Amino acid sequence: MYKINANICDELNETTYYTKLENGLSVYICKKPGFKKKIGMFGTKYGSVINDFVDIKTGKRIKVPDGIAHFLEHKLFEKEGANALDLFSKIGVSSNAYTTFDHTVYYFETSEKFEESISLLVKLIKEPYFTDENVAKEQGIIGQEIMMGEDDPEYRVYFNAIKAMYQKNNVRIDIAGTIDSIAKINKELLYTCYNTFYNLNNMFFVIIGDVDVEDTIKLIEKNVNSYDNLKVDKEVEIFFDDEPKEINTKEIKEEMDIFMPQIYIGYKLDVLKNEEIIKNAIVADIVSQMYFSKITGFFNDEYNKGVLIEAPALVYEGSNSFSYILIAAQTLKLEEYKKDIFDYIERIKKEEINEELFNTIKNKKIGSLVIEDDNLNNCYRRVIDSILTQTDIYADVKILNNLKVEDIKSFLDSMTNDNRIVSIINNKK
Amino acid sequence: MKQIYKIDNNKFNSIYVSFNYTMNVNKEELSKSALLASVMSKSSKKYKTQTDIEKHLSKLYGSNFDVNVQKVGDLYSIEFRVECVNKKYLPNNVDVLNDCLEFLNEIIYNPNVENENFDKDIVEKERESILQKILSRRDDKTAYAVYRTEQLLCNGQIAGEFLFGDEEIVKNITSSDLYEQYNKMLNESCITVIVSGNLEGHENVDEQIKGIFKDKIDSKFSYDSLEVNSSRNDKNIDVNEVSESQETAQSIITFGMRVLNPKDRDFYVLNVYNAILGSTPSSKLFQNFREKESLAYTVRSRFYRFKNIIVIYAGIQKKNYEKAKKVIYDQLNQIVNGEISKEEFDAAKQSILSDLIEWEDSKIAIAKMLFSNLFAFKNDKITIKDMYENIQKVTLEDVKEVANRIKVEQIYLLGGEADVQN
Repeated sequence: MYKINANICDELNETTYYTKLENGLSVYICKKPGFKKKIGMFGTKYGSVINDFVDIKTGKRIKVPDGIAHFLEHKLFEKEGANALDLFSKIGVSSNAYTTFDHTVYYFETSEKFEESISLLVKLIKEPYFTDENVAKEQGIIGQEIMMGEDDPEYRVYFNAIKAMYQKNNVRIDIAGTIDSIAKINKELLYTCYNTFYNLNNMFFVIIGDVDVEDTIKLIEKNVNSYDNLKVDKEVEIFFDDEPKEINTKEIKEEMDIFMPQIYIGYKLDVLKNEEIIKNAIVADIVSQMYFSKITGFFNDEYNKGVLIEAPALVYEGSNSFSYILIAAQTLKLEEYKKDIFDYIERIKKEEINEELFNTIKNKKIGSLVIEDDNLNNCYRRVIDSILTQTDIYADVKILNNLKVEDIKSFLDSMTNDNRIVSIINNKK
Repeated sequence: MKQIYKIDNNKFNSIYVSFNYTMNVNKEELSKSALLASVMSKSSKKYKTQTDIEKHLSKLYGSNFDVNVQKVGDLYSIEFRVECVNKKYLPNNVDVLNDCLEFLNEIIYNPNVENENFDKDIVEKERESILQKILSRRDDKTAYAVYRTEQLLCNGQIAGEFLFGDEEIVKNITSSDLYEQYNKMLNESCITVIVSGNLEGHENVDEQIKGIFKDKIDSKFSYDSLEVNSSRNDKNIDVNEVSESQETAQSIITFGMRVLNPKDRDFYVLNVYNAILGSTPSSKLFQNFREKESLAYTVRSRFYRFKNIIVIYAGIQKKNYEKAKKVIYDQLNQIVNGEISKEEFDAAKQSILSDLIEWEDSKIAIAKMLFSNLFAFKNDKITIKDMYENIQKVTLEDVKEVANRIKVEQIYLLGGEADVQN
């Protein structure tokens, strides 16, 4: 038998239930009374940065081509020639799947077909079907997806920023891989990755909505147990090339046939763990609002000089193998913006932190969390973040309540000239 | 006339308040309205700069404010909106809703105007901002191709104009022009106020709004006196092909289609038609264009309810242009001939029905549905349940009948010059 833990968050008036089934699968249910939509997600802690690991069947270490996690996502969401999106769509359910740097998720959204959707989702993931023909066909579709990214200036400026920071880690490579790398993918490699990373111990099931907790857990367990499950107790062994502390290159600049240039400033940080990752993301948001938003004198000056129209956005992204800050902006005056923001960052690092502003922004962020919680998609993002960082579901709320001015200070100090990069997509004059 | 719509549901934590000013405009007035909305979002008498605005809002526990513009068919609409937390969920139950309403009143009815002119500095900055939006519209290739198709289909009508207006017109707007447009917005628009979300403890929000805004929101026009579609959709025009080149890896193909001689019930039938054609993964385009022929990653069709037009768009390789056209025509013809399996038909209907139910899970989506029903149906009593029942009634014969009235008018290609892949 399994034990169900209830995690209550008073601030958000919400409860999330957690249990680990005997078969190894972790199940999370975030209860949302009154909502009609139910979201179900089946996911694995496997994303594009992982390409070097121990094959669970042979026990041998193996390296696989870039883009294979994403390729696998495409192939799993298909059943004997029929696309899963279509299978769900036939019963009136919308579904999709996505691959990130560190996880892959398959999900459905339904108001009326909850049980059928769970059973279909489990079936899709538990019955892989790879053939030479369907692998070849997918190379065509993913090829189009990769090209779509190449035409998107926002996507390119983002990836170039990461490429500028990282020398070895696979985070520097497009999640979908490259036209060349996906050409090397075959059905045998897909099965190897599937067997290794789609073992239940490495997976999670998340439900958001107004459902009965015990019935839902039983339903998931029954469906999953109707397949042969390889029982695995230990974590998958994954290897990352040693990533040097130093950045790869100071600046990457490209031109495209666009009007509005895009600029990212990045800071490569030391890899953080668990709650530190959640905390840094919250601090980043507060720093973004305190120092770069429309509230600030900096933005106001740049706006008055015609450098900026929208405020720059600062975010933190981190996992167990990468960690960085990005500041995104659009401007026609690239050189002026670069100089101003570099000077400004040096200045705020030396200045005393405005405690009143800090408290105002902190309260604002607390209110924003409550507002965002009306959207079920924000609820699942919180659960998934907690799974990946192995932290309490509501760690963000707790960390926010306890945040101190000193946290802002140390965040600002982590932005140094040595770990700084610039990525620019300019227009063709 | 009822002007304040309340949609109350205590499953939410927060409240969305939306003031909409919807009006008839010509091409010049559209540009002026776009600039006006931008200027009004940045300044008022009390809050001179956007920094002042943001500082004020930052004290209201996450309350957010925005001014949006949209085309409602051939009408233009400016929305002033706030979102805030219900007092139940705030420390000491502070009531930020009242502050938000006062704030909206300040922004809308106390603008930064001296001697019938908007503040010139802000006008110049926002003019630059609007011009950049106009000039960067080509940066998102798919959106640009869809916009060009709308423009070709709705030539000379407001629905065919770019949302933020025309470069030459925007360059020449004066701050007194803006003041004139501001008065037009106040006096010659239909004002629709919608409050949606958790109204527990805020049940009297409509009275509260009337207390703050007084008779200012008694608008001269009502939604049923404004015409959303200025074209009659009765001319059968020959297919026109247009292509433009651009330095991209991918090319975008679009089909622009018109529903001829539209009827009242068409809205429901066209939703089902569109789902069968290309708005869901079980649609003909997704199944055949993407899955069977591997011609694209993205392929979709979009139905414009106010104009009775449909646009298909797909990202393809340029060398496949002729084949892509043929496959799209094949799908259209299949529907005309009634070659729709029961499975396809049921899936299309089911997906629309599920979407309808799920709209009620978003306080904003449900408010937007109410708004758009007002202008499309000229009726404020249509419920999600009514819509649900009407979709259920749609038959395969209905879809065939409407398909026979859908004519391709435009085929457009945004061709990738750098398209050399394999």
